[in-house]
Amino acid sequence: MVTTPEEREEVEDIIICRDVHKWYGDFHVLRGITTTIKKREVVVVFGPSGSGKSTFIRTINRLEEHQRGDIVVDGIELTDDVRNIDAIRRDVGMVFQSFNLFPHLSVMSNITLAPIKVRHMPSDEAEDVAMSLLERVGIPEQADKYPSELSGGQQQRVAIARALAMRPNIMLFDEPTSALDPEMIKEVLDVMQELATSGMTMVVVSHEMGFAREVSDRMMMFDEGLIVEEGPPEQIFEDPQSDRTKLFLSQIL
Amino acid sequence: MTTSADMTPTDSALPPPRSQTGVRGWVRENLFGSPLDSALTLVVGAVLVAAAWFGLGWVFFDADWRVISTIGGRFVIGNYNSDQVCPGNDCFWRPQASLLMVSALLGMAWGVAGAGVVRRIAILIAVVAALFAFLPYDFERMGMDVRLLLLANPVMLVAGWAIARYTRLGTPKWVAILSVVAFFLTLLLLLGLPGVPGLQPVDVRNWGGLTLNLVLAVSGIVLSLPVGVALALGRRSHLPVLKAVCVVFIEVFRGVPLITLLFMSQHLVPLAFPETFPRNSLLNAGIVITLFSSAYMAENVRGGLQALNPGQIEAARALGLPAWQTTLFITLPQAIRNVIPAIVGQFIGLFKDTSLVYIIGMLDIVEVGKTFVVGNTEYQQDAQEMFVFVALVFWVFTYGMSYVSRKVERHLGVGER
Repeated sequence: MVTTPEEREEVEDIIICRDVHKWYGDFHVLRGITTTIKKREVVVVFGPSGSGKSTFIRTINRLEEHQRGDIVVDGIELTDDVRNIDAIRRDVGMVFQSFNLFPHLSVMSNITLAPIKVRHMPSDEAEDVAMSLLERVGIPEQADKYPSELSGGQQQRVAIARALAMRPNIMLFDEPTSALDPEMIKEVLDVMQELATSGMTMVVVSHEMGFAREVSDRMMMFDEGLIVEEGPPEQIFEDPQSDRTKLFLSQIL
Repeated sequence: MTTSADMTPTDSALPPPRSQTGVRGWVRENLFGSPLDSALTLVVGAVLVAAAWFGLGWVFFDADWRVISTIGGRFVIGNYNSDQVCPGNDCFWRPQASLLMVSALLGMAWGVAGAGVVRRIAILIAVVAALFAFLPYDFERMGMDVRLLLLANPVMLVAGWAIARYTRLGTPKWVAILSVVAFFLTLLLLLGLPGVPGLQPVDVRNWGGLTLNLVLAVSGIVLSLPVGVALALGRRSHLPVLKAVCVVFIEVFRGVPLITLLFMSQHLVPLAFPETFPRNSLLNAGIVITLFSSAYMAENVRGGLQALNPGQIEAARALGLPAWQTTLFITLPQAIRNVIPAIVGQFIGLFKDTSLVYIIGMLDIVEVGKTFVVGNTEYQQDAQEMFVFVALVFWVFTYGMSYVSRKVERHLGVGER
């Protein structure tokens, strides 16, 4: 029997968070996050700065350690076990606000490094994969350049290609357009939209409300380390339930 | 005549104004821009002219450079070729053979690297070796055999180049492997091997000169970088014992003068080993210089690691690279690249410090010159000339290192990407 994507979505919970807490010293940054993200879902996380939204997505691939509660990613529970962490990181791609491309490597080497070293892919195959990904993000002609020779928008698209080269099941985006000039935001959002359409599970920290309304399946409003409201974009924009959400949206729209 | 009114927008992109009008404009702007500038220019100019007048006068008229040619080959290899060190004078092919190996390796490096800084250095060495073959010494002091061996260097260079170009040995890996082999072969040739005909042992205290400086500097440079990197990583480790060991090592070796360490290596280290343990001043000096330099190197590398954006490590870890691969492929290459000037400065310091081995009775190039001048009454008034010459030799080598480092920096795009 062939399962349709819709049916699969109902059974596969790819990220499960149960009562996740995190402290930076005395500061209680995550105060009990409980949520489930399904396969192929696109979730936009928003909220005021300092609300813990970046910390939250960084706990999903263990760049930040949570101190209480459970996180299960792709069926693997995040514990101190290094093998689990490395296994999850191979399957979860991440895109950073400041791109974090490797400045000493060419665009091509940035993309092929992890597939060759971690997945033991032969280098010619890795280069073929990298070329097709660069075509997908629209900059195949930049393969031999170095990151500093590219514009911000191009660098962020290389960063997306680099994450995709590991063939991840989940993509995390930590404010991917916040460091970009206005005219470059769209080229990055277009790539992300295409990725969402292709069925990638995505968790995006962003204040690009147009993108959220058009592309996301669900939005999460973070405030003071808690999810104060979540729901489909229509509900968040047309009929927000929490006063905090109403106030925040009125400030940024 | 064109006015701004009938210019199209593209025409209006004017060339920059000419701020300089030839040499006179440059001089007026840069040397006599203000009364203070003019005064400084005149004072500094006067000092320079005076220095050049007296300096060149001394070099060309007052100085007696015969002391240099009298010391001659001893600057390069010490007393290696003398009768009491090597009866029958049949040892001289040994340093010559290692020089030929170096030439062949340089040729290979040239063949691998192609045009650029390696080629320039290779050709320079070949030309210098060939020029030495035609020095106007009489044949009694510099025989035909020596001259032919020197002339063989350009030949070996071309041979090495051809090997790199036309055989499968022409890869950086093979050049590195053969360089290590050549280094140990050189040591073997110079020190000799007991019981092997033609390779009778030569006590290291009887040879020296520039060769000694170079052997110590090359081994110190090649070894202190990896040891320094290991110490830097250890100092940043989360394992408290490893970290403590590295901190103590670095602080102890940085806190003691090299000359003290050299002295201790000769007189205290043997106390820690059994009587039968082989005692070799060259090995002692090499180890002490390497460890001393590693301590400084560790701090240079640590500075480079400290300056790295933590986002680099996060990006590598997020891709699933384990910690050791993140260090090897992401953090170390960037950290070392960023501190190349400091590392090269350290190498230059190390090269100059090799002359301190005189304290344990070894004859480096400075000591060769000094003992000659002090020991020969007829040359005692020529000490100045000798020291100026030795300083020039040091400067040529250190400038060469600085030149190579600038080329490497440009090649790696330091400060640009």
